Amino acid sequence: MYSQIRVYYPYISPFDPCPPIRVKTYQVNPQLFIGFQPENLPQFSPMEALRLGTLWPALYSPYSGRGDQEGLEG
Amino acid sequence: MNSANQPGDKRYYELLEQLQAIDFVLVELNLYLDTHPTDRNAIEQFNQQTEQRWAIAQEFESLYGPLLNFGHSYSGYPWQWNNVPWPWQV
Repeated sequence: MYSQIRVYYPYISPFDPCPPIRVKTYQVNPQLFIGFQPENLPQFSPMEALRLGTLWPALYSPYSGRGDQEGLEG
Repeated sequence: MNSANQPGDKRYYELLEQLQAIDFVLVELNLYLDTHPTDRNAIEQFNQQTEQRWAIAQEFESLYGPLLNFGHSYSGYPWQWNNVPWPWQV
């Protein structure tokens, strides 16, 4: 399962007043690649669906913070 | 509401969690069916889940009183709607 987080490296100017954020991340969720949802996709059980936030594993998109708070330095 | 089951006991939370899970599945299927009106299997599943949701809600209300007010649930005697626990106490 490929990761749903991609990174990019913003340009850091020598005149930036604040400490630079070297790495920034963005989410690429499954619905970007699925387009119109096909029928009869496999499903989670009700309890799992409630916990994971979606009924279909194909659309499951966990989010665990931006990562730059923990100093995701480039 | 018989004396065996008091609001807040194990069965209370079990039923509430099942109800919550079924409701979530129904929301998902409802939104899915809005854009897929011809998906027969999904409609069958939706109807089955609705039936199951009614059964769970029925059992819960028979044990612990109404889930909803304004005529969406029955009440026992005396009036049960404003009994504890309130939603934020659950």
